[in-house]
Amino acid sequence: MALLETRGLSIRFGGHLAVSDVDLDVEAGLVTGLIGPNGAGKTTTFNLICGVLSPTGGRVSLDGRQIGSLGTHERARLGIGRTFQRLEVFSSMTVRENVLVGAEIRQGWARFGHSEPPLLAAGGDPSLDEEVDLLVDRLGLGPVADTRVGSLPTGQARLVEIARALAIRPRVLLLDEPASGLDDSETHHLGDLMVQLATAGLAILLVEHDVPLVMKVCSHVFVLDFGQVIASGTPAEVQQNETVQAAYLGSAS
Amino acid sequence: MTPAQPVTADRQPLLALQGIRAAYGNIDVLHGVDLDVPRGAVVALLGPNGAGKSTTLKVACGLMAPKAGKVLVAGRDVTGARAEDLARRGLVTIPEGKGVFPNLTVRENLVVATYGGQKLAAIEAVAYERFPRLKERRNQLAGTMSGGEQQMLAMARGLASNPAILLLDELSMGLAPLVVEELYEIVAQIARSGVSILVIEQFARTVLGVADVAVIMLNGRVRSIGTPQEIEAELSSAYLGG
Amino acid sequence: MHQFLQYTIIGIPLAAVYAISATGLVVTYTISGIFNFAHGAIGMLAAFAYWQIHVGWGLPSWLAFILVVFVIAPLFGALIERLLIRGIEGASEVITIVVTTSLMIGLLGLANLVWPPGENRNVVGFFNDTKAISIFGVNVTVHRLIMVGVAVVVVGLLWLLLNRTRIGVAMRAVVDDRALLQLNGGRPGLVSMFSWALGSSLAAVAGILIAPTLNLQPITLTLMVVTAYAAAAIGRLRSLPWTFLGALILGLGESWLKGLIQTSWTIGSFQLDKLGSAFSPIVLLVAILFLPQPRLRSAGQQQQREHWKVPSMRTAVVGAVALLAVAVGVALLLNPTRQLLLVDGLFFALVSLSLVPLTGYAGQISLAQITFAGIGGVATAMIGAQFEPLNVIAAVAITAIFGALVALPALRLQGIYLALATAALAMLMYELVFLQDLIMPANSRQVPPLGVGDWLGVGEWSVSSSLAQIVVLAVAFGLCGIGLVKLRRGRWGRRLTAMKDSPVACATLGLSLTRTKVATFALSAGIAGLAGAIAGQTLTTDQLRFEANFPITVFAVVGGVGVVSGALIGGLMLGVLPVMNSVFATNAIGFFKVFEIPVSKLTAVLPGLMGVSLGRNPTGISPQIEAGFAPMLRSRVATIGSIIAIPIVWVLAYTEVIDGWTFLAVLATLLGLLPALAVLVSGTLASRRAAVTTILAVVGLAGAFVLPWATLSESSNAIRFCALVAYGVVVGIAATATAGLFEVPEELRPPSPDMIGITSPLGRTDAVEAERALGFREGELVGR
Repeated sequence: MALLETRGLSIRFGGHLAVSDVDLDVEAGLVTGLIGPNGAGKTTTFNLICGVLSPTGGRVSLDGRQIGSLGTHERARLGIGRTFQRLEVFSSMTVRENVLVGAEIRQGWARFGHSEPPLLAAGGDPSLDEEVDLLVDRLGLGPVADTRVGSLPTGQARLVEIARALAIRPRVLLLDEPASGLDDSETHHLGDLMVQLATAGLAILLVEHDVPLVMKVCSHVFVLDFGQVIASGTPAEVQQNETVQAAYLGSAS
Repeated sequence: MTPAQPVTADRQPLLALQGIRAAYGNIDVLHGVDLDVPRGAVVALLGPNGAGKSTTLKVACGLMAPKAGKVLVAGRDVTGARAEDLARRGLVTIPEGKGVFPNLTVRENLVVATYGGQKLAAIEAVAYERFPRLKERRNQLAGTMSGGEQQMLAMARGLASNPAILLLDELSMGLAPLVVEELYEIVAQIARSGVSILVIEQFARTVLGVADVAVIMLNGRVRSIGTPQEIEAELSSAYLGG
Repeated sequence: MHQFLQYTIIGIPLAAVYAISATGLVVTYTISGIFNFAHGAIGMLAAFAYWQIHVGWGLPSWLAFILVVFVIAPLFGALIERLLIRGIEGASEVITIVVTTSLMIGLLGLANLVWPPGENRNVVGFFNDTKAISIFGVNVTVHRLIMVGVAVVVVGLLWLLLNRTRIGVAMRAVVDDRALLQLNGGRPGLVSMFSWALGSSLAAVAGILIAPTLNLQPITLTLMVVTAYAAAAIGRLRSLPWTFLGALILGLGESWLKGLIQTSWTIGSFQLDKLGSAFSPIVLLVAILFLPQPRLRSAGQQQQREHWKVPSMRTAVVGAVALLAVAVGVALLLNPTRQLLLVDGLFFALVSLSLVPLTGYAGQISLAQITFAGIGGVATAMIGAQFEPLNVIAAVAITAIFGALVALPALRLQGIYLALATAALAMLMYELVFLQDLIMPANSRQVPPLGVGDWLGVGEWSVSSSLAQIVVLAVAFGLCGIGLVKLRRGRWGRRLTAMKDSPVACATLGLSLTRTKVATFALSAGIAGLAGAIAGQTLTTDQLRFEANFPITVFAVVGGVGVVSGALIGGLMLGVLPVMNSVFATNAIGFFKVFEIPVSKLTAVLPGLMGVSLGRNPTGISPQIEAGFAPMLRSRVATIGSIIAIPIVWVLAYTEVIDGWTFLAVLATLLGLLPALAVLVSGTLASRRAAVTTILAVVGLAGAFVLPWATLSESSNAIRFCALVAYGVVVGIAATATAGLFEVPEELRPPSPDMIGITSPLGRTDAVEAERALGFREGELVGR
């Protein structure tokens, strides 16, 4: 059984089925891709998984436990971390403070439950400051650590969101277009980081438009169109799929 | 302020963006976009999500002021002019996915279209002639119609208000392929009547059939410009990376 | 049964007026996006204008009605939109709330100024209230029937407007999609202005219709708006039919409760007859609490235009000590009456300080801080008649718990709904609790003065003097301020800032927004309660009136609610406003010989004008002052110089070598000069300009000392005051300008196409023309 599962996940906005009957399996230790054209329902699926939206139907389970009735913050405490397509950084604070807030909030609630070991520290339990420094460094944000996030370019702000999400030591990480706004070398670096995190045992669900990146890091890809899963498989399989080609490029007229 | 730009080339475009930089707050989205829409031509603006297509359009129609660069209409600098002023002067925009007012009736939607200067009767005549279905539904709330019908209503406004330049953003969003085809048929017709059109489209193949020029954007910059044939070859790598 | 019928029939016209008023509120809010807290005040002003035209100038009532409703009120509304509302487009909700609230205060002041209270003004109903007809055996005046009739006509006209005219359709279109209206060529700005005109008109109708049944009192008429808030809340600030239903519930309920409950009815010693006036806040609170849960707000939905610097701990401690020193220093120069003003100022400052964590750090709003202070004060007094530190601690704890309890249901609310909920609470507390004989016997209660001396075992130290009060309040403010800075710099402060920046991101990090907000509310209420508990005043019900809460929030935000110094400045401004009154007591200005206005009354309008500045400068006054004095603080010489100079001048004044007026003059001049002084000593100035600046500074300062301010040609205090302020400002500006601090900002305006030569719509033919002009050959032209 996969670490994170959705079964029959659906949501209706007015008369419009934005997400319809979506079954996803996100395995620990792997990067799973979720791709599809604009408006296909990818971000909505993220919102349903982490509890920002309530589904009109279907279930979400984490490690076999139903989490569909829990609030957003309770799901986060069980280990679901995420980033946002439309940035949700704490723009009036510095990069370091953004990550620190995440770590502090985690420290606040982790007292009541067991805490996962940090993914990036090779063994040992670093102090709060050490952990924050580690995250800032690993995302290549060292040079801008004391810059206000509101004045950073999009790409770097996205990296801040990733570092912040990692600060709560999640078991599942939902990444919503993390590479948009990054240059080639930054994207490359991010890809390596994702693989590394997955190797350390994290389950990553990646929404991304940079298809080469998806092909490179994902072991399994789901393709969403009109709120439905229209294909799934290995990156190569999906790439060859004609339905997917049509969904992306439209049928030739 | 200079009243008109000097004529430097003999093929001055009707709409031109020069070195446009734009940002949401402090977050830069466009890093110097140059784009020409020659008179009477259909220009297709393609590219993956987040490339800056919609922002480019927002700058062109006046909804967003650029941080740097110029917007020229018929050679005149209109940078920073308000969207409603440009709209009243023949630069008609149909924005992404929501070109209609859902809580107004079809007829009321056309009432709003009269700001361009036409009489309601004239607009209704054009709209209902081209889309008889709208006439049947003229007292229905636009939001209760199907996606295709809503997009037709939006197009009807674009048609009837006699634009000089038409900007279209993601006409096909959430629509069935057959409807999309029908819509692009109409775009082609409008183009043949001499209107300059800038169209943003995610489904590249659909639009390449009607376009004269295609432009691919990536990460807030124009990556390539060419004929539809040239661009089609590049498409797969831009979108699917293979 | 007959009684019930009678009050039902009285309730229906009331409901009709409430419906009209609430409709105006809803129309303005849905279309312009700004909730108009001043809606009632506009109606009140309209009622006064009607009285002036009809009774004062003797024009017929129908003409007065038409003039006010169709000319004056719409113009006034449009003017407000243009001058005030445009400026706050895109500002945070806190700012929009504060701006319309301050407008309300300003309009109240304006009414008191133009139509001084005390005079008996009666608005007689249409047909002089003489005609009446009998319905089911109940006599109903024609005026009341007209109230219902007008409501029906208003609804009909409104429907026609919204459905049958282009501007009406455009108004609905703005609600749907503002940008799309622009893309159609519609002007959302114009539509918004029209909606304000319409809203004012409707407020005016309601005000004029209700005036005969109420006294023509500014405050009574203004607060009628709470009923409109409640009706609008039932309509979720959107739906007009539901708003009408809300108005009906409110009109009937209020009429029944006020009419049927006897004065003698009590539960224990709780007087039930207060329920009638408390009905609308109760309905408002209930309606808001049952509103559907809003989505978690994300960062993108509103611009953050306010940025406050986080002070260092050192700055906080130095500031607290400086505050104590300055407060005592100033107090020693004042006579006991004036010292009371300083007590008031520091009390207001401490109450304002309670908004710093809540509004400044966490971005939440409250319009109930004076109410919390009142709870703290009353609680201390009820626990024990003598001052005991433990009593104060207990009172603070009670207030904090109360704040938390209030926050709990209001938690999922934000912005406008939170403001309304806290306002409803404040009104409820006043009507239902503070007016009870049990709580405030004879409408007042003495809060025990601080027995600091007794408690410390140094009984000699005068415990109830104003000076002791000032010391206690200044110390309390300093300590709370240091505490808040500490909090802001620490874990909790970061968390609050994060929550303000993006609540949704906080939730996905595992933060329980509920607990964080409850704690913040408790802290805020606790600080306000502390202010009430140690102010040592005789609290009267009048001080705790519902509307007394508004100036606190307005002044705190105007002062700069994100920083401790902002709360200090805001509170002190509020406290020393009466100084103006006494200084200008004897002066009056004429207004075209129509009105004779005492200048002191102008100070009542001042708070209203304060809010106007927020549109341009949402961070408030304090950061601006700080920016102005930044060069001085960076310069060691200038800092040390002022630290030495100001005490010297103070000693001169205290030993009466110079008189109070000269002291003020020197201080004003010195403060004006300080920024220039810093530039002067920094050595970056060209020597010629440095020389000029120095000469100006020395001559100016010498003048301040030498000029005989106290005996200035037998003039009044007012002229003296103006003269010395003007002197200080002129010298300061002259010196700073020569030092070259002021740069003239370049104004940027978007060009209109008209300005660049496009005067009519561009059609296809124009395109051809344009291309010809651009030199295209005939064959290439578009649209051949």
